[in-house]
Amino acid sequence: MLAIRDLSFRYPGADKPALEGVSLDAARGRILGLLGPNGAGKTTLISHLSGLLPVQHGDIAIDGQPLAVIRRNTPARIAVAPQDYAFYPMLTVLENLACFASAGGLGGSRKLQRIAACLAFAQLERFAKTRAERLSGGLKRRLNLAIALLPEPEIILLDEPTVGVDPQSRAFLLDAVKTLARNGAAIIYTSHYMEEIEAIADRVVIIDDGTVLRDGTLDELLGGVIVQVRLGVAGLSDTALNALLDCFGTVAQAGGDSLVTLAAGQTPVALLAAVEAAGGRIRHAEFGRGNLEQLFMTLTRRPLRD
Amino acid sequence: MLIALIKKELLALIRDVHGMAALFLMPALFIIIMSLALKDVYDPPVKALPYAIENRDSGTMADTLVNEWEKRHGKAQPDSTNWPNKVQSGKLSYALVIEKGFSAALASRPMDSGIRLKLVTDPGLEGGVFAANKAELVMIASEMRARALLTASRMAQGAPRGRPSAADRIPNDDVTVSAQTLVDAERLAAGSRPTAVQQNVPAWLVFGMFFVVASLSNLFLQERQCGALARLASLGVPVSMMLWSKALPYLVINGLQATLMLAVGVWLMPLLGGDALSLAGIHSGALLLVLLGVSMAAIGLALALASLVRTQAQAATIGPVVNILMAAIGGVMVPKFVMPDVMQRIAEFSPMNWGLEGMLAVLLRGSDIGGVLLPAAKLMGFAALMIVIAVLLFRRRVG
Repeated sequence: MLAIRDLSFRYPGADKPALEGVSLDAARGRILGLLGPNGAGKTTLISHLSGLLPVQHGDIAIDGQPLAVIRRNTPARIAVAPQDYAFYPMLTVLENLACFASAGGLGGSRKLQRIAACLAFAQLERFAKTRAERLSGGLKRRLNLAIALLPEPEIILLDEPTVGVDPQSRAFLLDAVKTLARNGAAIIYTSHYMEEIEAIADRVVIIDDGTVLRDGTLDELLGGVIVQVRLGVAGLSDTALNALLDCFGTVAQAGGDSLVTLAAGQTPVALLAAVEAAGGRIRHAEFGRGNLEQLFMTLTRRPLRD
Repeated sequence: MLIALIKKELLALIRDVHGMAALFLMPALFIIIMSLALKDVYDPPVKALPYAIENRDSGTMADTLVNEWEKRHGKAQPDSTNWPNKVQSGKLSYALVIEKGFSAALASRPMDSGIRLKLVTDPGLEGGVFAANKAELVMIASEMRARALLTASRMAQGAPRGRPSAADRIPNDDVTVSAQTLVDAERLAAGSRPTAVQQNVPAWLVFGMFFVVASLSNLFLQERQCGALARLASLGVPVSMMLWSKALPYLVINGLQATLMLAVGVWLMPLLGGDALSLAGIHSGALLLVLLGVSMAAIGLALALASLVRTQAQAATIGPVVNILMAAIGGVMVPKFVMPDVMQRIAEFSPMNWGLEGMLAVLLRGSDIGGVLLPAAKLMGFAALMIVIAVLLFRRRVG
């Protein structure tokens, strides 16, 4: 549905481009997780899609039509729920919805119907007459989302939609996003919370310094992640243990335990067997599939929340 | 769509209590306080004002008066034709009209009845200056009359003895030296006598109308910072519609402000012991045109400043500072004619001065639409320029 090809953008006066050769796809009914630290280029990408930045280089197309054409003719096909609370704090929830519904070109019974539907979807009926500035952080996030859904967009851009909300509201928002995808919308969900992306995204794009580092399904991305084994061993001297573990990969110390990043072709089973064979007694061991944070660290050599 | 955006703007305005208080209470307080405070002030400026002399008398006394006045006040404007229009429009501060028979009347022993010397002033001339000029004119004429009578008396004493004439037999005590009855002074008013409130209402009304700058800038910045404007843009709302949705409610606010300020002058000031603002003989079309010009200029400036500033603090300070500066140089706080020449020339670049001149033309000089076209055109031109700047900045800032 949405196809971005070789998109590059440099802000006026900037030393380096904010985006460089970015290509990605988003499909109907699927959630594309856009993962990257602050300053990676996520918001610049979103700004392109919401029409706030011009395309300097590359192409953005929706169903084969250039984005500029879509934005000119049917801008409401794409909706953005920005990171900020992009509504009027002095207006009530209902007044905000009414204002943005009209701005999106809705009128008459259709407008009333969409306002009611979005109020219900965001479970904001009880707060319809409450001024937005008096809502809690979680409710504000819900209102932000409800406004984005008013024109029934086909592509929904959610920019860090769970920042500053309580766990209950976060769970609600994540469920809501999944529902939107199930109902056929293409979702682009940006976050630097890896666990959120892992929980809801069908496909993940990792972006840093304006370039795409990885693009694939979670299985594709994490399948190739180098596995780490953390283990506590008794019965072997540190020297003997390190010499043994060195044969399986890179060894680091972590709180009295050994942290082994397995080399290609090595497995945790072989490592544990070798330790026991050498006379070591395994007190505890942890290992499993790598996560996005490990992948990100592997790719960039720095944590995601930098 | 436009109605929904306007409704949003009005709701936002109504709920901005401090902004609304500043818009309505502050100019009302200014009018009340300044009008009462300046009601009895007498502080005539000593500098020369532009004036004309029309000498309809062929006597030498008339020439002497002209020479004496020019010695004290500088040369009169060379072209004295059409002075009534120039005085009416404020281009000349006053005109001296020396009627035929002035010289004879001044020298006659029994004072000739009838006005022979007129001081006709700009309707907007400050009261102190008006009174000072009139007093000076009476004094000069009286001195000339005293000299003429003395000369005549000496000549009579030096004349051959004989039967004295009837005039010579009049005792000196019965000769009036003062020329006060020969002199008259009037303003070319549009029906009402100019008062402090008649001059203060236009000034503070223009000042108050420009205070929408602070209110509009704050709201504009707030919605820009929270991303609401970007959201509207992403929904395809054109920039022109966003700007109109802001301008139209503030046009109404300015209209309400003007109504309130005029009402304060007409009805409240008399209740507080001050003079009443008179709207008798006012050309309503000209008044509306000037008010529209002032409002458009204020809104244009507000939109440009709002698009320019980046923080709430900037919006909270730049708007009021620009307003105060424009008022200070524009003749709102200090009358333009008491300013030095350089400052007077600077004042002519202040939109508040254009508005003030337009309002004074309507309220004091009784100008019709033709009489306020120039200030109204300047205000509209300024508004257009500001709106263009606002649109250009707006496109950059929304993103």
